[in-house]
Amino acid sequence: MSENTLTRAWLALLGLSFGSALLTMIPAPPAVLGGGILLLALVKTRVILARYLDLAESPAWLRGFSMVLTGFAVIIFGLYLI
Amino acid sequence: MSDVSLIDELPGELLMWVLIISELLVFGAGMIAFMGVRLTDPVGFAEAQSHLHRTGAAFNTAVLVTSGYLAALALKWREAARRGAARLALVASASLGVVFLIIKGVEYTDKAAQGIGFETHPFFLFYYLLTGFHAAHVLAGVGILLLVAWRDDPRNIEAGAQFWHMVDMVWIMLFPVIYLLG
Repeated sequence: MSENTLTRAWLALLGLSFGSALLTMIPAPPAVLGGGILLLALVKTRVILARYLDLAESPAWLRGFSMVLTGFAVIIFGLYLI
Repeated sequence: MSDVSLIDELPGELLMWVLIISELLVFGAGMIAFMGVRLTDPVGFAEAQSHLHRTGAAFNTAVLVTSGYLAALALKWREAARRGAARLALVASASLGVVFLIIKGVEYTDKAAQGIGFETHPFFLFYYLLTGFHAAHVLAGVGILLLVAWRDDPRNIEAGAQFWHMVDMVWIMLFPVIYLLG
């Protein structure tokens, strides 16, 4: 993992965090808002796994972690919508 | 057939990954329990959540991801034999961890001033338990980052940085659940 890749990952994380903050300011139905916020959080965790934790070099593990975290986000979203 | 097992593909120490997975499961279970209890009183949870400082918590997200970036850079620099730069990055990373804790402390102090405690509402019981447990991990992480800045073998730095990225990842999931999904 090069320094440039890490820097791009960091900028992406800051951008996604800013995106989450912006999302909370727009008037949108709760389902869209909650879904969008959780989706952005999921993308952030994937960036950390792939770039900071170097799992981009181990695609099977990255896929496994992503699947479990997606399942977790789906449960949270489902409970949010009930 | 390849001689490399799936386990061998994991970067760093296997035990650190066992710890990362265990921590993610513990916090994940806590967050699912929080959302489950929220079903019993969604209006009360939303009202309680309105007392939280979203801006401070959002700022803390930026603080932690920047801190994680510095920890990741420290490992690259140490592997390139840039020991001084790596140590500096680790100390800066730990310092941002302290900034996170100060902001969290201000938040807790403000809640205490409003008379908000564990028993005010079930929301705050989960809020204090989950964010407090996470803050304890941040405190431990600060100590670990400073320790590996001192004992700067690349394997030590890798393990310390991995712990820190786990703490970062937990916050990234905790923040929307506790602060935003009202």
